[in-house]
Amino acid sequence: MAALVLPAALLVFTLLVAPMALLARISLNHYSPTELMVEAFTAENYIRAVADPYYQQVLATTLGVAFLCTVLTVLLGFPAAYWLARMESNRKSIATILTLLPLLVGNVVRSAGWMALLGNEGGINAALRALHLTSGPLQLLYTPGAVIVGITAVVLPYMVLTLAAVIESIPRQAEEAAANLGATASTVFRRVVLPLSLPGVAAGSVLVFILCMNAYATPLLLGGPQFKMMAPAVYDQFVRGNNWPFGAALAFILLVATLVLTVIGSMALSRRYRG
Amino acid sequence: MSTLVLDRLRKRYDRTTAVERVDLTAKQGELVALLGPSGCGKTTTLRMVAGFIAPTDGRVLIGDRDVTQVPVHLRNTGMVFQAYALFQHMTVAQNVAFGLEMRRVERAEREKRVAEALRLVRLDHLADRMPRQLSGGQQQRVALARALVVNPAVFLLDEPLSNLDAKLRAEVRMEIRALQQRLGLTTLIVTHDQEEALTMADRLVVMERGRVRQIGTPEELYENPADVFVASFVGNCNLVAGTLERPGSFRTQSGTLLPCTSEAPAANDGLVLALRPERVTVTPGEGAPGDIRAQVTAVTYLGAQTEYHLDLNGTTLRASRSTPLHDDPLRRIAPGEKLTLSWDAASARLLPAETETGDET
Repeated sequence: MAALVLPAALLVFTLLVAPMALLARISLNHYSPTELMVEAFTAENYIRAVADPYYQQVLATTLGVAFLCTVLTVLLGFPAAYWLARMESNRKSIATILTLLPLLVGNVVRSAGWMALLGNEGGINAALRALHLTSGPLQLLYTPGAVIVGITAVVLPYMVLTLAAVIESIPRQAEEAAANLGATASTVFRRVVLPLSLPGVAAGSVLVFILCMNAYATPLLLGGPQFKMMAPAVYDQFVRGNNWPFGAALAFILLVATLVLTVIGSMALSRRYRG
Repeated sequence: MSTLVLDRLRKRYDRTTAVERVDLTAKQGELVALLGPSGCGKTTTLRMVAGFIAPTDGRVLIGDRDVTQVPVHLRNTGMVFQAYALFQHMTVAQNVAFGLEMRRVERAEREKRVAEALRLVRLDHLADRMPRQLSGGQQQRVALARALVVNPAVFLLDEPLSNLDAKLRAEVRMEIRALQQRLGLTTLIVTHDQEEALTMADRLVVMERGRVRQIGTPEELYENPADVFVASFVGNCNLVAGTLERPGSFRTQSGTLLPCTSEAPAANDGLVLALRPERVTVTPGEGAPGDIRAQVTAVTYLGAQTEYHLDLNGTTLRASRSTPLHDDPLRRIAPGEKLTLSWDAASARLLPAETETGDET
């Protein structure tokens, strides 16, 4: 039976573990503007990334956006997931497909659409002007708000489906039992549904947080040139700056930050669940 | 604790009628079982009492209070669900304490009553376990304690034993009945198991396709079933179609005459003779002239009981009795042999034949 894992394991190894190992090695190399990458064994790239206020800001922005988006998706996704989970089975499959539908539109295409909607000459500003609500164009595009809304919209289906799967496993009779024992609807939610959904909140948050930390197209297109998150910054170093060692170091900082926060977050949630 | 009255309770869905009309008064401390095959409306009725389903017509009264419009959480019923529905994230004690918390019972009092309730179901030693660490029977008892601890006005049980294995079922059945009697709880229990209903209930409500077929004590239902459905659903019963030849004699469709002195219902065309298999006495041999004779078609050994499948010139009957001893000639009766039958002519009941079409809704 163990052999069944082999093809997948092989694929993951060659396409993930091996390149990551290479990248780790590269991040320790020295960069020279004339010779580009020079074989070395130095921590200078990490030190620079951590010490440079600019990259500190990029990491802080990334963490802030990812955190906000995760919270937003939980708040928006929970009611939708509950509704989906408690739906009758014949309509549920249709609703599930509708939930997945936004994922059929790629990030770049979607962001381009958002640009058309949010731009100074875009749909929203045109409407506001037509209704004489504003005199000049409202700056909507190229703002952190646009990025947060954009990323949230992209990752929301992941949260809804993850949560719905867990909520579905909570027997409806448990809710009925609570009501029968004297709990109002809000108490049933607070004392029964929410605590039993926490594993789903944890799983969904981990998934969404990782996706947000690594968002690329949305911050690039909706955030504009001044707004930087980690994934575009890594890309810049590799492609525009040709500074592979520094890019690799940034990539690893992103990876480790994501990993550490994910582990801490899910541990906190699961402890809450047990208690 | 109070009486429970269902007054012309009815539930219609778009096209179907789940419950046609239920009238029932359960006295203080009485255990009433709603019995019927799946889809007969018994669970819908129970859920209307609990408040999970709003009736289309009719009223639910607990004590003297009309609770038809009262939301679930204010009805003060204690319900035990089929799958227990324990709160998986709470300990046994927390589960039991939940209803008391909702009633804002003070902590000290709460702890006292939780301990009492757990002692009542003999689970006080497992108070700090999580539900998933318990066996099915133990989970069932937690559910009982959780529903009882709040002193419900009415105790509701929805197929409480169907998830337990046969041996445990008999045990828990006795336990529920003892608890219910000790606490004097007015109780409504839903079950599809006639044995469960007969052994536990003071009175039974037999339902079929949303209608109440008969309400009565176990004995009334068994001895005097109102119709063919009740006769066949409660216990085993021979049902033979035919007509009343003359008072005291029933002619089956194949022409055999059977003794029967019970009164015929109004419509004489199309009758069914209902005769419990254990009321039929079988004796080996041809018997005297005028005796009822039958040929054995099969003998089913059930341990304590033995069942004889009999043919009376085209009319089939079943007789059952405690398995005869080794030296009894009946013990060696085999298919093909002849037996003589007899029964008390008064214990054969006459019922109107079922008309399958008359189900206008």
